[in-house]
Amino acid sequence: MRRLTLMTLVAALVLALPTMALAKADLVVATDAPPKSMNPHAYSSDANLSYMSNFFDGLLQRKAPEGKLAPALATKWKRLDDVTWKFELRKGVKFHNGNKFTAADVKFTFERMKDPKYSKLLNIANSIQSIKAPNDYMVIFKTVKPVPWFAETMHMNFIVDMESSKGRDDGDYNTRPIGTGAYQLVEWVKGSYVRMKANPDYWEGAPKYKTVDIRPITEEATRFAALAGRQVDIVNGVPVTLFERVKQMGHVEIIARPARRCIYMGMSNTAGTPFADLRVRQAIAHAINEEEIIAKIMRGQATLAHQVPDVPTVGYDASIQRLPYDPAKAKQLLAAAGYANGFDITVAGPNDRYVNDEKICEAVAKYLAKVGLQVKLDVKPKSIFFDELTDYKHQFYLIGWFDGSFDFGRSTEKLLHTPNKDMGMGTYNGGKFSNGDLDGQIIASSSILDRAEREKALQAINRMSVKEVAWIPLHYQQDIFAVVKGKNVKFTPRSDRWIVAKEIR
Amino acid sequence: MTKWLKSRRMQSFLGDPSALVGSALLLGFLFGAIFAPLVAPMDPYDLTKVDLANFLIPPAWMEGGVSDFPLGTDDQGRGIWSTILYGLRTSLIVGVSVVAISSVIGIVLGMLGAYYGGLLDAFIMRAADTVFAFSTTLLAVLLLGMFETRGIFTVIVAICIADWVKYARTIRGSVLETKDNAYVLAASASGAKDARILFRHILPNALPPIFVVMAVDMAVVIMLEATLSFLGVGVPLTEPSLGMMISIGKNYVYAGMWWMVVFPGATLIAMVVGINLFADWLREELNPKL
Repeated sequence: MRRLTLMTLVAALVLALPTMALAKADLVVATDAPPKSMNPHAYSSDANLSYMSNFFDGLLQRKAPEGKLAPALATKWKRLDDVTWKFELRKGVKFHNGNKFTAADVKFTFERMKDPKYSKLLNIANSIQSIKAPNDYMVIFKTVKPVPWFAETMHMNFIVDMESSKGRDDGDYNTRPIGTGAYQLVEWVKGSYVRMKANPDYWEGAPKYKTVDIRPITEEATRFAALAGRQVDIVNGVPVTLFERVKQMGHVEIIARPARRCIYMGMSNTAGTPFADLRVRQAIAHAINEEEIIAKIMRGQATLAHQVPDVPTVGYDASIQRLPYDPAKAKQLLAAAGYANGFDITVAGPNDRYVNDEKICEAVAKYLAKVGLQVKLDVKPKSIFFDELTDYKHQFYLIGWFDGSFDFGRSTEKLLHTPNKDMGMGTYNGGKFSNGDLDGQIIASSSILDRAEREKALQAINRMSVKEVAWIPLHYQQDIFAVVKGKNVKFTPRSDRWIVAKEIR
Repeated sequence: MTKWLKSRRMQSFLGDPSALVGSALLLGFLFGAIFAPLVAPMDPYDLTKVDLANFLIPPAWMEGGVSDFPLGTDDQGRGIWSTILYGLRTSLIVGVSVVAISSVIGIVLGMLGAYYGGLLDAFIMRAADTVFAFSTTLLAVLLLGMFETRGIFTVIVAICIADWVKYARTIRGSVLETKDNAYVLAASASGAKDARILFRHILPNALPPIFVVMAVDMAVVIMLEATLSFLGVGVPLTEPSLGMMISIGKNYVYAGMWWMVVFPGATLIAMVVGINLFADWLREELNPKL
């Protein structure tokens, strides 16, 4: 009898263990991408920055829904001249470990961001020539050349604590974030969840939810199951394939908003390849039936793109029209260019990065085959694909892009300018598209400070890029979120898709 | 012909219903795979023939179904029925090639080790143990991760590297058993060369268990190819595979579009069951003591 009791007790304990371990947080958010590091400068991907925005603050922040710049660790900022920027810092802010936040931390952060060992945010860090701290609460940046969008990136350059960061080894630095953010990390279980607790001394006031779990669920079907089973309160990235089903679920409210990200096909124009001929590039654009891709693959959850920048970006030009779907014209153009019998072309792209990326690549391959090209498909995980892209191994590839700084100028440098490692140009210009005229315009535009004139110059670059078919814009994604009703969670999606827990009420 | 029909083995085969069912299934699949281009309504991997407009059509008997696509279509507009037929080709090509290649490698290495013994035996068998220590799936995934290109060929190579061990171990056991038999010693005493002894005297007597292992292994390899393709490390997107079909279809199961998973899944199960039924009969026939 005693043995039986003991066994029952043990059994009860064993059964209770998982429930104890999985005690539910006040708020559970499911998202589609896991964090890769807890070093806030390790990745520039929005997925990683989204996690970081909870543990760290930038000098500035962007508020949902439209992403207007607002004060954060800096209370005021001003551009003193072409290359000088002044930030006045907030007083009385403390890091999670109790250290005081001062100008020295800002200086340390931006210096560390220049070190490739710690940082992928080299573009902005290397544009800084000097950082001066006249007193503990003021920082003055001087940039190497005029960088019109300098302050616009200050929401994603997260400030780290100087005293503690110096002495920590890389393993610790990459797994344990110490910032000034609204939340502190409790536990990061890779592939499972990131648990965080509210920072009671947060300078903006303690956030509403005391404990928050962010669960990366990369599988679409699993994300759906979590939603159906009410295991989560918010889902970031409702799969479009299941959109209709989610809409029918009574306990779920769907919030869809046009995303800023444009999915496009990047192209080469390297001499000696068929792509060098403008007619070939036009033919490829004419061959793709983007309306069908949106209706079928994206299930209507996307907007047709005529250009790469989205409406709020400086440089957007409403007059630009995409080349229409016209396979007959595509064949004609190919024949005129001397490729009546087609040529070998590889459609490359990631298969785990954007909504239905792999399926879009497949569809594009099909359209190209139908106008007579000999098509190969080369889709692979993002971890491999993007390395190949930045090694310029692909001539025709799918990627997505949006500019966090709302300025097309920065995008043109990374995507359109002829690759040049020393100048930091063309990093993601995977096909090495090169046009001297365009390069000149891009360089010239970066020193235009007047906003109206800048807009004109960027619009001209934009128009030319579409006319020269440097890329084929496909569509802007639609961001789809789901909120489980009943707990009265007030959630306003951000244009950058970040999950900033302090904004959830 | 009648003599062959009346032979004991044939009688046993005809008298065993599960062997008959198994072989019928296998013959059906073999037929479908070989004549896929003739039987299938479309070539689902000819990019010029597939049309996105036909995407996600339910099976013909359901509302919205069309007779051109008896089992419906997937999210790229490929017919499920046609894709299954072409997918069977991949399954069987991989199954047959892997079994053929790894059995030859395994048999040769196992026989040499067992016959000569000593350092050679120790070396071969420790190598086999090392491979055996990994789960076959894991090893294949690792190997495929290291290969630069993807395709049926690399899948076959990867599975072979992980798979020859079974054969080496099995044949080694039976060679050790037979090599001291009187007729082997007699052959050796009469001056026969090692190769002749190995292949004429020992091998024929050591083979029956290998046939059984081959039959069972076929099913395992076919499942393994499907698993690898399901995981996304097997054949590329541009080649048909039942595992890949299931992987694509699984995202649609919750949306109520079951046909993309159920039909290829059922095909896979039927094929594996068929092979196992046949292997079962073979085992009883050839090697009652195994």
